[in-house]
Amino acid sequence: MKVLMKPIKMIAWFEENGKLMPIRYQLENSESEKISVNVDKVLLMQEEKLAGNKMFIYKCQSVLNGLERIYELKYELYTCKWFLYKM
Amino acid sequence: MTRTIMHIDVNSAFLSWTAVHMLQHGSSIDLRNIPSIIGGNQATRHGIVLAKSIPAKGFKIQTGEPVFQAKQKCPNLVVMPPDYFLYMQCSSALSEILQNYSDKIQLFSIDECFLDYTGIEKILGEPIKVANQIREQIRKELGFTVNIGISTNKLLAKMAGDLKKPDMTHTIYPEEISAKMWPLPVEDLYMVGRATAPKLKGMGIHTIGDLANTDIELLKYKFKSWGLMLHAYANGIDESPVHPGSGHTVIKGIGNSTTVYFDVIDKQTAYKVLLSLVETVSMRLRFSGFCCSVVAVSLKTDELISSSHQKKLMTPIDCTNAVFKEVKSLFDEMWRGQPIRQMGIRVSDLYTKDYIQLSFFEENWDKQRRLDKTIDEIRIKYGSNAVIRSSFLWSGLSPLEGGVVDEFPVMSSIL
Ligand SMILES: [Mg+2]
Repeated sequence: MKVLMKPIKMIAWFEENGKLMPIRYQLENSESEKISVNVDKVLLMQEEKLAGNKMFIYKCQSVLNGLERIYELKYELYTCKWFLYKM
Repeated sequence: MTRTIMHIDVNSAFLSWTAVHMLQHGSSIDLRNIPSIIGGNQATRHGIVLAKSIPAKGFKIQTGEPVFQAKQKCPNLVVMPPDYFLYMQCSSALSEILQNYSDKIQLFSIDECFLDYTGIEKILGEPIKVANQIREQIRKELGFTVNIGISTNKLLAKMAGDLKKPDMTHTIYPEEISAKMWPLPVEDLYMVGRATAPKLKGMGIHTIGDLANTDIELLKYKFKSWGLMLHAYANGIDESPVHPGSGHTVIKGIGNSTTVYFDVIDKQTAYKVLLSLVETVSMRLRFSGFCCSVVAVSLKTDELISSSHQKKLMTPIDCTNAVFKEVKSLFDEMWRGQPIRQMGIRVSDLYTKDYIQLSFFEENWDKQRRLDKTIDEIRIKYGSNAVIRSSFLWSGLSPLEGGVVDEFPVMSSIL
């Protein structure tokens, strides 16, 4: 997987216990077309506090161009930003 | 009772903190592995090196030297601006971890802490083993490394932490002083500064051991009480307790300046720029636990003519609005309408808050103080731009001017 750290538009929901789950996001492909991606599965969720800055990392699975791909999303708590972290 | 004191010191703090923050945000380079520095604002031309990487050290780049000079030594040098909000965040994350190991922690400077481990051996285990555990936890969770020095007092713990870097634990117990501390050059002793070292060398005192074994009367004659203190330190004697909570740092003043990318010709814009400077300076003032009683403003015109004005206050202050009020009146006194290129403010004559008596004639800043405290907390928790003044909206100006700093408490002088 390559580090991309690309800011993305995201639809996410909060579960009753406060857990934040990514649902669907928008990506721009190489032809600058906007494509929507459904998060089919969250395989792993991790918290990190590097340099005292809290971020959540989600290892996810989606179908992209007909292929099943595994990649990572990142959510930064204090800026409320979502990133496509690694793919 | 024999104490156990640990000194925790972040390795190349500002540089590692910025490096880790960049990595967390997807950077492919680790500043710690390339020649790099954290440097003050270059636009003003008097930015200085605030921190350097180990590869930068290889080019003989020194903390405190001008950025342009460092670049001459290493043309490929990567220069990153300081980010004080990030640094405060790192500092508080560090002390949060340390609190798991002792309730007596003294934040000595933004990147250094003392931890009183006395009596905790029985619960958590041997100091060296636990120090290694602390280092590992900090490295894993926060992504940066620290040195830990262990001994029976603060001075020896600090001297031990300085032995070999990075990411190491060292001890200098009293029985190890002669082997580990005495062979070091005398300027490595805590509190022996650039002024004292040459004088000592002139007396034939080259190592800490030489100093420790110098006749105390001679030192007293030459340096008065300072000489007694140096002699005690060279012999590893220090009784000072770990002051929990606040740092007992000594700073002369806190300043900040900025070069505006256009000429400021009207008062409203000038006020806004000054306010952005006041915001960061007064926040740092409060963070260090001081009030100031001197406020100064300096200006540089488009023709590069500098001027400055300062004012001594009856009552020390630390509120953003109180500082801003003084800054505005100083500005009004000195400005005659010339286009301004550079503006700076500085607060000094600092007092600890405990000793401040509110004068009956001054405005009551209590409400303001509570507001400042809330805003500071929000900014530390959620980032510097989480709360900004509405006057900065659409102004094209930065609400907090945080680029430059001249006297941040990187180094403290009272144990
Ligand atoms: Mg340090």
